[in-house]
Amino acid sequence: MRETLTRLRYRYWPDHLLGEILSKRWTETAIPVILLLIVGFALSRSLEHFLSASSLADTARQAGEIGFIGLGMALVVIVGGIDLSVGSIFALTDFCALYLLDVLNWPVPAVVVVTMIVGGLLGAVNGVLIGYLRLRAFITTLITLIIYRSAYDLLIQRYSNAIASAFPDIPSWDFIGGRSVFGIPSVALVYIVIAIFGHVFLTRLRPGWHITAIGGSRRSAYNSGIPVRRTIALCYVASGVLTSIGALFFAARLGTVGGDIGVGLEVIVLTATVLGGITLGGGKGSVVKSMVGVLVVLLVTNGLTAMNARGGVNRMALATILLAAAMVDIRWQKNRTRIISKVYVAPTYHALPPPPPTEIGSGGPFEQNDKLRDVSLIGLGRIEAPEDVILDRNDVLYAGSRHGDIIRFFPPDYERMEVFAHIGGQPLGMAFDKEDNLYVCIGGMGLYRITPDGTVEKATDETNRSIYSVNDDSRLRLADDLDITDDGLIFFSEATVRYEMDEWPVDGLEARGNGRIICYDTKTGTTHTALRGLKFPNGVAVASDGQSILFAETFGCSIKRYWFTGPKKGDVETVMDNLPGYPDNINLASDGNYWLALVGMRSPSLDLAWKMPGFRRRMAKRVPVDEWLFPNINTGCVVKFNEQGKILESFWDLKGLNHPMITSMREHRGYLYLGGIANNRIGRFKLDNADPDFVQYDKRWGKSS
Amino acid sequence: MIAAISEIANRFLGRGEAAITVPSFDGALKPNQALEQAEILLECDAPEDLCTEGTSLLIADGARLTRLTGNSTTTVRTFERPISALASLPGGGLAVALGGTEVRLYDHAAAETPRAAFTQGLHTVNALAPAADGTLIATDGSSLHDVGDWARDLMELGRTGRVLRLDPKTGTIRELAAGLGYAFGAIASNDAVLVSESWRHRLVSIAPDGSRKDLLRHLPVYPSRLSPASGGGFWLTAFTARTQLVEFVLREPGYRRRMIAEIDPEFWVAPRLRSGNSFKEPLQGAHIKTMGVMKPWAPPRSYGLIIRLGADGLPRYSLHSRADGVNHGIVAAVEAGSDLVMIAKGPGRVIRLPLASLGEEARA
Repeated sequence: MRETLTRLRYRYWPDHLLGEILSKRWTETAIPVILLLIVGFALSRSLEHFLSASSLADTARQAGEIGFIGLGMALVVIVGGIDLSVGSIFALTDFCALYLLDVLNWPVPAVVVVTMIVGGLLGAVNGVLIGYLRLRAFITTLITLIIYRSAYDLLIQRYSNAIASAFPDIPSWDFIGGRSVFGIPSVALVYIVIAIFGHVFLTRLRPGWHITAIGGSRRSAYNSGIPVRRTIALCYVASGVLTSIGALFFAARLGTVGGDIGVGLEVIVLTATVLGGITLGGGKGSVVKSMVGVLVVLLVTNGLTAMNARGGVNRMALATILLAAAMVDIRWQKNRTRIISKVYVAPTYHALPPPPPTEIGSGGPFEQNDKLRDVSLIGLGRIEAPEDVILDRNDVLYAGSRHGDIIRFFPPDYERMEVFAHIGGQPLGMAFDKEDNLYVCIGGMGLYRITPDGTVEKATDETNRSIYSVNDDSRLRLADDLDITDDGLIFFSEATVRYEMDEWPVDGLEARGNGRIICYDTKTGTTHTALRGLKFPNGVAVASDGQSILFAETFGCSIKRYWFTGPKKGDVETVMDNLPGYPDNINLASDGNYWLALVGMRSPSLDLAWKMPGFRRRMAKRVPVDEWLFPNINTGCVVKFNEQGKILESFWDLKGLNHPMITSMREHRGYLYLGGIANNRIGRFKLDNADPDFVQYDKRWGKSS
Repeated sequence: MIAAISEIANRFLGRGEAAITVPSFDGALKPNQALEQAEILLECDAPEDLCTEGTSLLIADGARLTRLTGNSTTTVRTFERPISALASLPGGGLAVALGGTEVRLYDHAAAETPRAAFTQGLHTVNALAPAADGTLIATDGSSLHDVGDWARDLMELGRTGRVLRLDPKTGTIRELAAGLGYAFGAIASNDAVLVSESWRHRLVSIAPDGSRKDLLRHLPVYPSRLSPASGGGFWLTAFTARTQLVEFVLREPGYRRRMIAEIDPEFWVAPRLRSGNSFKEPLQGAHIKTMGVMKPWAPPRSYGLIIRLGADGLPRYSLHSRADGVNHGIVAAVEAGSDLVMIAKGPGRVIRLPLASLGEEARA
């Protein structure tokens, strides 16, 4: 009963998505957006006219004005600084615009241009001090905040009466101030245009990348040749200009120069910026985050005002939000990777029936023996991690090594060895095509082709992206083994899409169907995913009908058959399941049957743990990887099976001293060659009753030796 | 209330009692491979305990009592049940525990009839030690499980170990301590009795008035039998070592319950006296042979360790057989002449190291 509940819970509840979603960069924007939706919903419930057109337009107008300042602040914060003087610049440029218009009676276009220039100049003071003279941003802008504010106070003493008494009636000025286009206020339209440009600028253009780079690491940015000082200075100039644009709209809307204009604006904007998720440490942020932050702050302050809260309460609420947002920001930035790594591993329910017996005297096809005791060794201590081995028609032996090489050994004694090709990643499964090209699956890189003269070419390293996958699964993470059909289709397994090759134990701990079978067409050069949701698919071999492949699911402990063409196209059938060990590579035997390597054997303790996902999840969190319960891959065996799923023979090495691990085997001229990914040797075993002329290449491609 | 909340929080966060930390082998416990260099005196099926008798050694091998003189062995006698503990008495004589439930005292090893016998109230007597007043101290590991079934006692968090004082004159048994997490090994030291409390990884000193004091705590191993060392101090054997995985499993009642119910004890996630004999044993990450080698620092499923304690009960130096070694499961050690003779129960060996060569590292 309880077990059934566990099974259903893990089958239908996608635990693995939490970690995948959290590791997406957009989650950092998603949280403020959710906050915005919550605040908006709450206000629409508690305030009657919140969703009326006029109320929305009013909010949009304010949001536009503050939004410009928010954009400037975002830029400065991303580059690693802060701008506290925005409130004073806002006041000064507001004054500037109205003075030019009302007192000097300049035309509107000139007013707009000059006001923006003044804003830029005011920002440039900050920029030069911080960018070029390298003063601290905080103290510098605090000082300019005071100076600009004082200047503003002196100016309005002289001119406020003149400005207040003027009532300009200029259509274009009124348009800036209050008109709408299709119901959208002009300020919001301009804001949207600039925001879109800002988004493109930050994410797609070189200067935008420079800004992010400087914020992320000033020294590295400098070392990679980015003009750090100039870029920083220009950010402050941009902040001044953007603030002046906000001030222009404000001036056109209200036309006043009161003493409290712009007071406390920096706190509002800073709150919006941090709340939107733009990190105060610099290097992270986006236009959307800034926009969302501004909207949340504005909704909160307006909502409080509408509910007749006093000014003090309003500011206190803002300050509290700023504090909370800054705290969450700091904690999140510090612990993000740790939290993700804790929740990313999501074990699932995986039940296997009790395995068939293997003990000596128990009978059955898996009964242990010592046939492999007398394996002779090739390249002992000279080759490391030969996962797969293959021989060409000239009896030359090829194997991968963990140094990223394809090594080959020459007959007759296989003593002479050379590096055939250097690829750089761990070579896994190998297969020759009809033209003697060697196709190799490279862990972490993809499918590669080595021509007979040793030239390395990439065949494919990506496939089509699944629609429903959160993780981008288009890149190949762990191409494992392959075989080639008569039509030049290469079917290869990708063991897992959630982990890198060195993290295979984590995938084993999860025991979820994270792997897939992928098909690469050598004729068209296209790649597509044939099957997904497999439990660590590993060995692949084309079946005798030429219309299907046999593949092994390592952690599924089964062999399956998939028809890629013919009348049963698309079908998947289980050939063998509940194997006593973990199947690895599959290859053709001289008698038309198949060789299968069992890389490791099942242990009752892990079988039980696979039925208890919660236990494994806690183990993943508490216990270091070196101490985890692992699949036992120290002992393995080679078995021969047929397409009907019958085990014909098994070959064991009881002590495993000579050749500890078996991940693959290849029959060639009466011998079986053994590879093992954790070994520093290749095994060679004389087969009784095997065809002494069997060469897999010739048999496969119908050539006679 | 606060304690309950903090316990729940601990369990959630893996802190406090829920922490699976195992102390490292450090200081006097710094690993070496000294036990792997030991000379093999004897290979036998089921060595359990040993003691000296004059110039020769008596070895409990299953139900058989074997005498080892020089390099020649003779069977002294065979009991009807396996011997679970052995001790030579001062002034001649021998004490044996049979099957954990019976203790007999003989005047000499070959004596026909016992001088005294205790058959009541004993369950898992696994070690015997003579006391100065002519009594015999016995540790009774568990009142739930038999001598050979100690792993089950550990997995069920057994807390039923006892220390007993057997008085041959009166035939009475007095309980010195109870509720121990597997008592395994004791020795009289002045007035007090030192006891290994295996599942709590400590050496406890029990005073005549019954008060207990931890002499050694937080051992990275499960301590077992004790024997006196020449020059003051003791030899403390440790029959197996702790690992984080076992500590974790001990905190996972659901998994333990099913493991005990469904899996052959041989293949439990539990410490063992020997390992690596079957692929059905649990395998941990560091156990994977890489380039044909298993690292000695891999978490030990079985381990060989004997610690030389000073007269103050503090470790001086230690002799190891690490995860890649063979001489695991050291359950007994005695000094015989100029040698230290030990039982490595894992491979079924009696091994010997000359005393003169020991602790060189510690002295240097």
